[in-house]
Amino acid sequence: MTAPEPSPSVAALRARFGDAVVRHRVSCGDTIVWVRGERSHEILAWLRDDPGQAFDYLTDVTAVEYRDAELPLEMVYQLRALARRADLRVKIELDKAAPLEVDSVCDLWSGANWLEREVFDMFGVAFRGHPDLRRILMWDTYAEGYPLRKDFPLRGHFSRSEQTRQALAANPESHYSLEELSLAETYHEIPEDMRERLQRGEHGEVA
Amino acid sequence: MGLTPPDADRSLAEVSGVSPNWMTARLSDLVNWSRTRSLWPMPFGTACCAIEFMATAASRYDLSRFGMERQAFSPRQADVLICAGRLPFKLAPVIRRIWDQMPQPKWSISMGACASSGGIFDNYAMVQGIDTIIPVDVYVPGCPPRPEGLLYAILLLQKKIMGESLTDQQLRIEQTLGPDGLFRTPALIDEISEPFGNSVHQTRSA
Amino acid sequence: MLTPYTPLLFMLAIVVITAVMMFGLSHGLGLLIGTRRKTAIKLSPYESGMPVLGDARERFSVKFYLVAVLFILFDIETVFMVPWGVAFQQFVAQRLFLLVEMLVFVLILAVGYVYVWKRGALQWD
Repeated sequence: MTAPEPSPSVAALRARFGDAVVRHRVSCGDTIVWVRGERSHEILAWLRDDPGQAFDYLTDVTAVEYRDAELPLEMVYQLRALARRADLRVKIELDKAAPLEVDSVCDLWSGANWLEREVFDMFGVAFRGHPDLRRILMWDTYAEGYPLRKDFPLRGHFSRSEQTRQALAANPESHYSLEELSLAETYHEIPEDMRERLQRGEHGEVA
Repeated sequence: MGLTPPDADRSLAEVSGVSPNWMTARLSDLVNWSRTRSLWPMPFGTACCAIEFMATAASRYDLSRFGMERQAFSPRQADVLICAGRLPFKLAPVIRRIWDQMPQPKWSISMGACASSGGIFDNYAMVQGIDTIIPVDVYVPGCPPRPEGLLYAILLLQKKIMGESLTDQQLRIEQTLGPDGLFRTPALIDEISEPFGNSVHQTRSA
Repeated sequence: MLTPYTPLLFMLAIVVITAVMMFGLSHGLGLLIGTRRKTAIKLSPYESGMPVLGDARERFSVKFYLVAVLFILFDIETVFMVPWGVAFQQFVAQRLFLLVEMLVFVLILAVGYVYVWKRGALQWD
């Protein structure tokens, strides 16, 4: 049996970005490409916008920390080209010794908003340029750290009574203001910049 | 309705000694009987046990023949809080507030392993048993418990309520959170949340 | 005393007694001798277990008031036409006069109607 063929996107990426594409691999029929973090936003933008690639659907953004401590932490972007029915997995290696930071892709795919919030919540990876980077699965004031890291104990750092106390004291709605929740009624009363932000958020530009 | 069964071979007039047109009963019996036969549940269903609760409420096992005809989704109109499913820490203030908003008399059933003890989820995100947060009257083991299990729990709760005294004020006090923001003492919460069974082996990190 | 309304009076008495008895037995006894165990959280509004955000009292649009007031006005006009109809039947000799009189009445109110229409008070949006 011959070695499985990588997706043609790999060759196209290498031709366009050269060194920024570190390596690639085919695993169980999926093509995985490792790219450098410094040019990640540029590469992902090109993958979305180039007519030959057209990866217009971001399936998932997640991260992996391996059991072996010397391996770096990997950011994983799972992309799909709906018209071509092609998948691609793009990975970025992050050195665990340095602060974990990646450029946000919310401006490319709106779905990345909550996906990146989840990665931030569970792994502590900060996303530069994210409009609303806060915890999503744990509560806003969660102080124990980042649960899916390997150095995070299964039951958390605090004792069960402390966790219960903090959970009971948390306010699930603390982030929201009344204006944002009952917007239809108060739309004409909210400040101009908030109205602009809301309009922009919906259509990408002020209508 | 006394504690001794009526004599079968004597007529009611002879037994009661008074006119056969009257019958007496204790008020607490009457009140408890009506309470048990019309327990309106608030189904606080979070996960898989909620599906089993729905199955119990459906026609084959039928909760309505136990008086639970109307499931109250507002705590104001509910008698029993049935916590069916695992409870994340993020949902803890919600169930506490809903419990506080239920008027007396109120009871609670902890349905399933996760609500009773945290179940298989002995981790950073799950409450290890809702009895760390609210008082529980009946626990139902199972993952999920069969509908017969939940029905048995309801019957047990009915038995418990039938034995309640109307004059005992201790039963109906509101058990609120303490000044430290906890329902139980920290030592007790830690003790009942300790890992047991297979969880004892799941202590690794990295 | 046996007017045609006496049975209705009995009916009314039965209805009132039934209503009072229903309330009294279900709620009244509780209100009188029931215990009150109020806590702050128990009295707060139910918002699916979340702390309450904001006030439920929102302002209504003024359009509702406009529609209600206009309805009252034109409804009263209609009500005036009812006894006029009875009089119209009775006074056969002055029928033409009565008709013209009612038409003038309706015309005056029609002027108001046109004003309301042009002013946009009937526009819902």
